Amino acid sequence: MQENYLAKWLNNELTEAELVEFENSEEYASYQRIVEASNALKSPDFNADEALEAIKNKRSLTDTKIIQLNPFKRFLRVAAAVAILLTGTYFYVSSLDEQISTQYAENKEIVLPDNSEIVLNADSKVTYSKKNWDTNRNITLEGEAFFKVAKGKRFTVATNAGEVAVLGTQFNVENRKGFFEVTCFEGLVSVSFNGKETKLPAGNSLVAINGEIVSEEKENTTAPSWINAESSFKSIPLKYVLDEFQRQHNIIVETKNIDTNLLYTGSFSNTDADLALQSISTPSRIKFKLEGNKVLFYAENSK
Amino acid sequence: MKKTNSLETKNSDTVCDEQVFSSIFKANSKTVFNYIYYKFGNEEKSYDAVQEAFVKLWENCAKVSPEKAKSYVYTVANNLYLNVIKAEKVRLKYADKTLKTTSETPEFLMEESEFKTKLDKALNDLPENQRITFLLNRIDGKKYKEIAEMEGVSVKAIEKRMHLALKSLREKIDGI
Repeated sequence: MQENYLAKWLNNELTEAELVEFENSEEYASYQRIVEASNALKSPDFNADEALEAIKNKRSLTDTKIIQLNPFKRFLRVAAAVAILLTGTYFYVSSLDEQISTQYAENKEIVLPDNSEIVLNADSKVTYSKKNWDTNRNITLEGEAFFKVAKGKRFTVATNAGEVAVLGTQFNVENRKGFFEVTCFEGLVSVSFNGKETKLPAGNSLVAINGEIVSEEKENTTAPSWINAESSFKSIPLKYVLDEFQRQHNIIVETKNIDTNLLYTGSFSNTDADLALQSISTPSRIKFKLEGNKVLFYAENSK
Repeated sequence: MKKTNSLETKNSDTVCDEQVFSSIFKANSKTVFNYIYYKFGNEEKSYDAVQEAFVKLWENCAKVSPEKAKSYVYTVANNLYLNVIKAEKVRLKYADKTLKTTSETPEFLMEESEFKTKLDKALNDLPENQRITFLLNRIDGKKYKEIAEMEGVSVKAIEKRMHLALKSLREKIDGI
């Protein structure tokens, strides 16, 4: 018998003589039975189609895993966009100019980043940029304000009438319709008005009416009178005086038969309306009638 | 023209091609399953091994040629449980032969089932490699050459295992 004859027998590789010899052996029946029985053996059920489907699902699962990452990526994208937008807005807003304004009969005190001070008179507005304040001290003014400028770089107050530039001083700028006045209380102020530069030393003021400089006068106060709740005028046309009254007391002013170009010198209280009306009407020899929120000025001889 | 044609056939000839993969799966998955089952006697683990092996094949479809795919999945399936799981009893069913056996006497039927129990026990007592060889040949009808390829041994070694398997089965059953 050759080597591994049982394996050969199963594979039908035995020679005829060997086969006869094997079939005649006493073990043959047992082998025969084992082989027959084992031919009927079955392995556990295995559904290849199902298994293949499962693998495909697994593959698509790993695919969807990648897809599942996408919402997060999308979220990141959105988050990044929002972050950029927010920082952009932040920088935009922080670079936006600071704006402070007052209503009629209202004053405001503003402290700038370098401790310079601005006192804003009634119905006025200042605009400045907080950013780079130390190197760029620029203020835009509408109305009237008193400045106490801390020493430092050039400090500029721009108005639509003229520009005031200083280094460190105290001064008042009034810019009303057709009326421009700068008063220097300390240090030196340079005023450029209509392309002409004027240096105002302490105690001087510049008044321009309707685009023309009408006076450069000496002042002997240390702060504008309105800081002390008083409006004072020196040879100023009555109409600007009345405008100022309207701003300070929030009372609408009407005139009848009076020349508002008359010059007025004097002052009125910013707190007591009755007293202020007296202060205006008496020296100008005009009369007034106060009715609630309105006051009518009229000529003495018209009635 | 000829060149593009040959290129096309080459492209569709990779395992990455859905059809190629499916046909490789259909041709081999059952045997991989049985192979692992004969080894450890655990159906669940065998099923997992099939999944694992073919998923690995898919992942590496660019690197494995269709000719190597078969031995690749056997290697993966084989390595998967290397010494990791404890072999369980291999439970095999018998194909239904009731039609033929109903006319048999009760004694014969009893003797028959006794024989089957003995055979089951003898199969489980076989060394793992002999059992795999014997069952792959008997149940799956695999040729010695194919089993040799799967196991990575010579045909002669498989013949030896087969011979020893049959021999020890008879010895066990006949109670020698």
